[in-house]
Amino acid sequence: MPAAVATLLADVEIRAPGTGPTTCEGRNEGVCPGFIIENIDDYVSPLVEHVALVFGSVLAGFAVAMLLAILSHGRRWLIPPFIGATGVIYTIPSIALFLLLLPITGRGTLTALIALALYNLQIVYRNANAGLANVPAAARDAGAGVGMTLRQLLWRVELPLALPEIIAGLRIATVSTVAIATLAIFAGAGGLGEVLYNEGIQRDVFKTNIVFGSVLAVALAIAFDGLLVVVQRFAAPWQRARAL
Amino acid sequence: MIGAPVITGFLGSFGGAIDFIFSRRNSVQGPELQVGGLEQIWELASTQIAISAVALLLAIVIAMPLGLWLGHRGTGEFLAVAVGNAGRAIPELALIALMVAFIGTGNLNVTIAVTILGIPPILTNAFVGVRQADRGAVDAARGMGMSELEIIRRVELPLAIPTIMGGVRTASVNIIATATIGSLAGVKTLGDLILSPNVYGEEGVIAGAIVVALLALMFELVLAGVQRLLTPRGLVLERAAARATA
Amino acid sequence: MTGPQDAETGAPGTAASVVFRNVTKRYAGADVDAVSDLSLEVPSGEICVLVGPSGCGKTTAMRMVNRTVEITAGEIEVGGTPVTAHPPAQLRREIGYVIQQIGLFPHRTIAENIGTVPALLGWERERTRARIAELLELISLPPEVADRYPAQLSGGQQQRVGVARALAADPQVMLMDEPFGAIDPINRERLQNEFLRLQAEIQKTILFVTHDIDEAIKMGDRIAVLREGGRLAQFATPAELLMAPADGFVEDFVGADRALKRLALMRVADVDLWAAPLAFVGQDTAEVRAKLDGAEVPWALLVDSERKPLGWLSERDLAAATVPARPDISPDPVLDRDDVLRDALSDVLQSQAHYAPVVDARGVTAGVLSLEVIADFLSSDEARVEEHAAAERPLG
Repeated sequence: MPAAVATLLADVEIRAPGTGPTTCEGRNEGVCPGFIIENIDDYVSPLVEHVALVFGSVLAGFAVAMLLAILSHGRRWLIPPFIGATGVIYTIPSIALFLLLLPITGRGTLTALIALALYNLQIVYRNANAGLANVPAAARDAGAGVGMTLRQLLWRVELPLALPEIIAGLRIATVSTVAIATLAIFAGAGGLGEVLYNEGIQRDVFKTNIVFGSVLAVALAIAFDGLLVVVQRFAAPWQRARAL
Repeated sequence: MIGAPVITGFLGSFGGAIDFIFSRRNSVQGPELQVGGLEQIWELASTQIAISAVALLLAIVIAMPLGLWLGHRGTGEFLAVAVGNAGRAIPELALIALMVAFIGTGNLNVTIAVTILGIPPILTNAFVGVRQADRGAVDAARGMGMSELEIIRRVELPLAIPTIMGGVRTASVNIIATATIGSLAGVKTLGDLILSPNVYGEEGVIAGAIVVALLALMFELVLAGVQRLLTPRGLVLERAAARATA
Repeated sequence: MTGPQDAETGAPGTAASVVFRNVTKRYAGADVDAVSDLSLEVPSGEICVLVGPSGCGKTTAMRMVNRTVEITAGEIEVGGTPVTAHPPAQLRREIGYVIQQIGLFPHRTIAENIGTVPALLGWERERTRARIAELLELISLPPEVADRYPAQLSGGQQQRVGVARALAADPQVMLMDEPFGAIDPINRERLQNEFLRLQAEIQKTILFVTHDIDEAIKMGDRIAVLREGGRLAQFATPAELLMAPADGFVEDFVGADRALKRLALMRVADVDLWAAPLAFVGQDTAEVRAKLDGAEVPWALLVDSERKPLGWLSERDLAAATVPARPDISPDPVLDRDDVLRDALSDVLQSQAHYAPVVDARGVTAGVLSLEVIADFLSSDEARVEEHAAAERPLG
């Protein structure tokens, strides 16, 4: 056989008739742990982006929600419009919200952050309100009786006592955000959606990535939740952290 | 600094989207495929409405009796809470993707997947709603000779309507969102517009988003109306009285 | 279908007796009994008050009668039939049940609330409606209330509806767990009086739980004092309890002021009231002044055409030619003939009025009470006789 033909043939995979692809990921019949381990680096970036998205949006949403709560604390008439406005946003399916923002803020991380933060708003605001409202009247009386101003009362008495309920709301919001952030890729941002969609469904429904992406998303949600449980315990040592 | 170009661009995109809703035009790929127009929008929307409505009803049928019963007995709090948390933690995208990967595509499969994410809020809220029903009224009812089933039906359920309906409304949001993504599984819902910019163009994408948002708001309005109808008048009065004295 | 009433009296609506025989209740995993070997007998038509410190098992004991708590050992019989003879739901529909939180169904109208048990028993609409009207009158609420919701009623009104609801199906036995506990003290006294008047008419067998010994003495025909662990310390009439406490525990629980508490055994109606000269609006004041001469009570009481008290006439009032329509001095406190003497005394002391007019159930003046009247009466032989008689007599 001529040498040229031989080198050519060396690159060609000779298969017996009746068999298909021989690699795990080629067959795509289930999860391929080998593939995951080999390409572990490729998962880091989407994961980190995802964490950043969640962290940033929850922080922003929390800040705005607390601002609204403090504003409406003394002015009860503000509550219905605030709840109404944040509620409308919450009703709109996340993917629709991502895309509705596109013409305004363009494709990219900023759009995703804004949309995710808007989703957080309703949950945290509602819990912050409820938390402040549930402060025992006796504690408020005592504080006022000792001579605290309204502002001191808020920061030293009411907010600390409302903290458990606020953090409970934060937990719910964070877990939801981890899930919704998987859709951030449709807005042009990164995140685990890349693993699930771009490298999953778009890649001929690659099962390994779909499963692993799902596992990562749920694991991340559990991790964030656990972290906040710890925060809750430290924030309110007078209360045993209740599972909610 | 946001300037005139951004604003006109923003208006332009929305204008384009509105245009997409009403008039047919060539797809991005060429004149062989016509897209847009009310007829197509309605076709996609009606599929989504059908799937969402069926899924919501299924979720209610599955989750509500279970939640009511557990709440009445006072057991299963861990289960109810865990299911609620799990429901929040599972991304719609993951659920649809897993379904496509391991079970298959098609209307039935998508409807089932959509139903799954509607169950947790209804279960949790039914549980919580019944637990929070006026304990004095329940005690009086039991002591007066109502059977357990009668207590649920005549006392706990009516008093829990606001909380339960809150759960149904949350489920509705989840369901519509998941149904949108369901287009990835080959079912032609409005998600098709959103997820295929190379067919429908950017205007199509935004048009899809607008219609989905409107659809969700419409469901919400209907459910809010149902809640108002179902809430017993005495309960409304009780809450008003409580607010007045609080 | 036989019910608890058939065995003894045969006719529904007449009261049945309640008998506890060595009843014990121990909750699963508990070290001590909640109720321990309780035996007592409540004759039909009587109010038996279960009283004791908190945690003594009085509520548990009461709840075993309608099986909202199940018996661990022993037997309870209602009208001769063991309570375990029938399914709990059926048993409970024939026993009236009033609890401290009242527990009206907020989502139903007053009429629907009252009609709950009749509906469960399948009464025809007409019969239920008639019964609701009857009961509203019995508890002194206007018929318009029937279509309102509990949130629109005051606490005292809700409490009365709770009692009406328990009476709706005309049960022979009523269980009442601190029914007046959630009411403010002023209205509580009124509700207690009204309830006693009601009981005089309907004569149900009632098991009444309270932690307040004064309420027990006022309301009970017989009192069961329970100590911790649900053990019976004494089962006796109020008079016996006050005059002969069984042991140190009962003596402590009844309180150091037993002598004053005896005043609760008698009613204003038992006392020989003094008569005040009555004056009518527009009457010639000379006539009134003539009556005042030598009268037992040196003040004239202004009354209306139905003889209901409007107030006392002062010197200035009598200086005019005719009796004015608005007297200078208010008639308060106006006492009820059915008031217990202890409450009447405290009302008189609190108000600093020298004399207090006493009215009957219709509001018509029956006489006048004062500190001297009470003191006079208590020191007389009649009072001692009266005290014992009061212990024996049925309500009324």
